[in-house]
Amino acid sequence: MILDRLAREVEALIFASEEPLSIQQLCEFTGSGDDSIHQALDRLNKTFSDQQHALTIIEVAGGFRIATDSEFGDVVSQLFEGRKPGKLSRAALETMAVIAYSQPCTRMAIESIRGVNCDSAIRTLLERDMIRISGRMETPGRPLLYSTTKTFLEYFGLSNLDHLPRFDEIEELLGMSSSELEERDLFGSGEE
Amino acid sequence: MTEQTAVSKTCRIELESFEGPLDLLLYLLRRDEIDIYDIPVAHVANQYLMYIRRAVELDLDVASEYLVMAATLTRMKSKALLPSRRIDGEEEADPGAELRRQLILYRTFRQIAEELQRSEETWTEIYTSPGERERWSGDSIEIEPGQASLLDLLKALNSLSEEEPELPSQKIQRTLLTISECISTLEKSIEPGKNISFRTIVGSKPARSKIVSYFITILELIRRGWVVCYQAYPFSEIEIQRTERWSVDS
Repeated sequence: MILDRLAREVEALIFASEEPLSIQQLCEFTGSGDDSIHQALDRLNKTFSDQQHALTIIEVAGGFRIATDSEFGDVVSQLFEGRKPGKLSRAALETMAVIAYSQPCTRMAIESIRGVNCDSAIRTLLERDMIRISGRMETPGRPLLYSTTKTFLEYFGLSNLDHLPRFDEIEELLGMSSSELEERDLFGSGEE
Repeated sequence: MTEQTAVSKTCRIELESFEGPLDLLLYLLRRDEIDIYDIPVAHVANQYLMYIRRAVELDLDVASEYLVMAATLTRMKSKALLPSRRIDGEEEADPGAELRRQLILYRTFRQIAEELQRSEETWTEIYTSPGERERWSGDSIEIEPGQASLLDLLKALNSLSEEEPELPSQKIQRTLLTISECISTLEKSIEPGKNISFRTIVGSKPARSKIVSYFITILELIRRGWVVCYQAYPFSEIEIQRTERWSVDS
């Protein structure tokens, strides 16, 4: 397949951009509409796969990026040896999950859900730029509020917060009283 | 390794593999195939307490959260044993309801965490260009005015203190001046029956250690009765006079 001008412009823009490029930005820079951009992206990805490139264009953190196939993870990781941080601990992942769904939220809220002290998990997530301090709650003591960052979206390959799994159900669950909870079992009682 | 420490080690590992009391409870429920909506409070409380007691017996540091849960479970258990007092038409609140709510919430978030972990697994194998390269390059990322967080400032401060050049090291010679050395020096410099000031003994611009050594020596000489000291008023010059006893004793 020979790529048309628009597809190649889109390719060039995404390649050169420091940040993920949104559909709006792509429309603006190429002077085309939403639909044509989406079609151009599809044509690009088809060309990549047809010609067995190690690259694809993916949607992440609200925009598009050129990314390597996971198949080449081992090879590419050599470039960043010693610099790429390790995987997150279970405590950090659980804390991450609570913050992602109930943000902005306080340390107290996280700890009441997890039932343990979360200081070090929060510190790790702050250091790794997965969460940020987004303000203070106007209650006695004015506790800090935590929210997720763009790095969080990129790290977990989410294009935006709405792409978190089962978002609405958990929001309901958080606001539900215990009696309501009993009537609804999201995961089936046989699971545990 | 004795058997005792071997056991304690396994138990420590076991307790540390749990992310807190709720995690341990969920494990116990799963192990004993208990329905989360129908928790036999007495049984679960016993199992939980056994776990904690074993950890305590082995002298492990049990986090306070585990102990709070142990207390809560014990209270629930005793409540379940007592006949419930029923106020007309009003049903007694189920003591397990709050615990159930906590467990379900925690289980939900634990499942999300597992899903996040799967995404992490996939996405750490995928590299994008060029954002990641910058993030891991260790170079400073430019921050827009007003966008710096407290953490950024702390990071900057830390990197500054790391960069502080090492001061050229210098070997400091320690001069040891013993009391007996001081005494023999003084024996020569103080003539019997004559006064000498403390300032004269230590000389001009003395090292602090020299002043201290001589001062202690003078105190020692006073104790032995070998010298007598005079001072006109506080902080004035100390005059030292040698007594007859010095020559007699030594």
